[in-house]
Amino acid sequence: MRVERRQLDNGLRIAVAPIADLRSTAVVLAIEAGQWYEPADRAGIARMCAQTVLRGTTKRDAAKWAEALDSLGAVARLDVGSTAAAFSAQCLGDDLPALLALMSEALRTPALKEDDVEFVRGQTLAHIERDERDTRAVVDRVWRELVYPKQHPFHAPPIGEAGVVRTATADEIREYHIDAIRPSGAILVVAGNATTDRVAEAASRAFGDWRSSGNPPLREIPEVALPATIRRTEIVPDKTQSDVIIGWPGMPRTDPRFVAARVTNMVYAADTFASRAGNVIRDQLGLAYYVFSGMGSSRGQSPWIVRMGVNPENVQRAIEVALDELRKVTEGQITDDDLSLAKDKLVGELDVALESPGGVANMVMEAELFDLGEDHFERYPQELRAVTKEQVVQTARTFLPPERHAAVVAGPPLPVELAA
Amino acid sequence: MIHALEAHHAPVVSLWVWYHVGGRNEVPGTTGMSHFLEHMLFKGTPTHPKGDLDRLLARYGAMWNAFTNEDVTCYFETVPKARYHTALELEADRMRNALISLEETEAERTVIVSEREGLENDPSFLLGEELQAVAFSRHPYGQGVIGSKDEIKLMPRDGLYAHYHRFYAPNNAYVVVVGDDDAAHLADMAAKAFESLEPSRDLGQPPRAPEPPQRGERRIVVHRAGGTLPLVMMAFRAPRATDPRAPALAALAVTLAGTSAGSDGASGRSSRLHRAIVEKGLATDVDVSFRLTKDPHLFWVDATLRPETAHLEVERIMLRELEKVATEEIGDAEFARVKRQLLAATAFGTDTITWRAYRCGEILSTGAATSIAEWYDKLAAVTREQIREAAAATFTESSRNVGWFIPEAAD
Repeated sequence: MRVERRQLDNGLRIAVAPIADLRSTAVVLAIEAGQWYEPADRAGIARMCAQTVLRGTTKRDAAKWAEALDSLGAVARLDVGSTAAAFSAQCLGDDLPALLALMSEALRTPALKEDDVEFVRGQTLAHIERDERDTRAVVDRVWRELVYPKQHPFHAPPIGEAGVVRTATADEIREYHIDAIRPSGAILVVAGNATTDRVAEAASRAFGDWRSSGNPPLREIPEVALPATIRRTEIVPDKTQSDVIIGWPGMPRTDPRFVAARVTNMVYAADTFASRAGNVIRDQLGLAYYVFSGMGSSRGQSPWIVRMGVNPENVQRAIEVALDELRKVTEGQITDDDLSLAKDKLVGELDVALESPGGVANMVMEAELFDLGEDHFERYPQELRAVTKEQVVQTARTFLPPERHAAVVAGPPLPVELAA
Repeated sequence: MIHALEAHHAPVVSLWVWYHVGGRNEVPGTTGMSHFLEHMLFKGTPTHPKGDLDRLLARYGAMWNAFTNEDVTCYFETVPKARYHTALELEADRMRNALISLEETEAERTVIVSEREGLENDPSFLLGEELQAVAFSRHPYGQGVIGSKDEIKLMPRDGLYAHYHRFYAPNNAYVVVVGDDDAAHLADMAAKAFESLEPSRDLGQPPRAPEPPQRGERRIVVHRAGGTLPLVMMAFRAPRATDPRAPALAALAVTLAGTSAGSDGASGRSSRLHRAIVEKGLATDVDVSFRLTKDPHLFWVDATLRPETAHLEVERIMLRELEKVATEEIGDAEFARVKRQLLAATAFGTDTITWRAYRCGEILSTGAATSIAEWYDKLAAVTREQIREAAAATFTESSRNVGWFIPEAAD
């Protein structure tokens, strides 16, 4: 994969991965406006700002801006993640300059009117209400509340807290926009039907005169650790299946142990076929339709969690088996085949991800966002290959201690109370 | 039947095997059998015991999975191109040699029940399943795909094996391969892998249970505490993929709801229903879909309402908008947007190798066109008048099925 880089005078970094023979182009613009930069105790402001930005600009109202976007046939969305707010889109190659101009207009000159904020408030509160009876959303919310203190950016999901959404004012959204939506620290990644010169020219036209006047948000982030096992059951009425999370606070993407952690994750539970937990829980015992683990890639201690969908009768057993498999990893009971399978899979996936412009853009964005180095894509497979069994065992012991975990179950009442 | 296409932008190959068997091949008592069988195809053969090739494919970083719908059951592997032969070996082997042991059937039964229970947690699945059942009085499309929980629990191993033996054979399959190699070479390799397999002598005729004409609107209401937001769902009887109106119905879906980037997406907001319902603060989302199917199926229009919104109010607005698009041709600027969205969607769908193979298989297996390019040409040729005509033919009171999900308070 060839990645070429440029930077605008205002600090905006550009990375381009041209892919021959494609008609479309994938675009991701990441701005340092994710949960990590959200004001303490105001969970949900970042997402409200992002959604309000999409509701018209000082030049045209929401309907006209939407018409302009749909006239390109582009698909686009603006999401708030743990680190960045990501404006991601796909368009036909020739439309890239027009798409970047529309993105710039929305980000830099949003109207942010009172009635736009009211609209977004209504939509967001409806989503939060929907999530209250969605077992996957409930288990995620409750797990975060158990593990991260109130002051931590990951205490709430990106949609935020209902109290914040109800009280957010247009002034607060405008202020957050001035402080957070800025070119310094922003990264534009383009993959697909594009050349670096054309992207640089279009980006310069769209974002070259972008200047910011506010102060970048800063907040104190407390360190998180689980002192003991915590378990919680949350009843969600009228459900058939329980959703389960067993998890721990993870590590920043920039931690030197992160690559070993990815291998550990794959050995343990990341994949139904290649990992131990999925193999035993689903394939051997038939306890769950899905079981997988994931670790966030962020500036902080993102959740490192195992998720399962389980009949209430089987919840206790599924949790026990998941922890048993983890215990085996921490005790070094992993075979050379387990380890090589995990590494082969992670390396092989890199080739397969090249099949889609969106997949390429996301890989490039991770490398740029966390300053993994211009030679990252050459080094990364070698780094994965170099991970040893000892590193896997040590990573699991340090970050995934089975005797100190947080487990949450959301769904129907359990036949027996979850044992501590 | 083997179809191969070249795609050289990434060093991968995507292999898809489409079997002509799905929910439409089932009868009461065996609902969910095709889907159950799909799970059993991952449980090994005499040559490759369970886990053998799975682990090999995982080792290659493959993306692979399977799905079942009303018409077909599909298996795919996207692999680094040097591993194409392994994907072929897996698919050719399990086409005729799956074990489907009693022991593995029992072990998988609970997994499938768990899959069904996960779906039941979602109010839109509950409403959609009931509405689909109401929309068909004779045709097996009304049974859906995953099957009833009781029938999954009772599904006999021998029945599964007979279903397998009958339908899993080269004379009942499409192979579609797209990848970074010469198309003829990709096709030759596939032909070599599958050519010696024994055909089924028991395929019989495709299921024939024509759905009689609907004579008036059908309505259902689902009251549950499992969701907090009201839903309005409409399902209109719609023609099969081979019908000349199918491309116009695909364009009609875009006219009504755009090509969305999902909930909260910025695109599709200029569409008619988004403006009429979501922008008015009545709903959080609106979705419209028309699927390519072998037999006449449904054109779906549904909305997730804000908590305080009345179902009837949204239903009336939806019907008004449907009436409008059925009676007046859309304007120049709107038509240009719809065409551009359709064109762009064809590029997005085919610029990913896996989805190019999927799209090709969907078009071929349903008979929508003889190639992916021909289908795209048909989409490009749709006129405003055809969109209006398709709407007028579809959005009639007598072909309408309406479902409401009404959230209830928890006990």
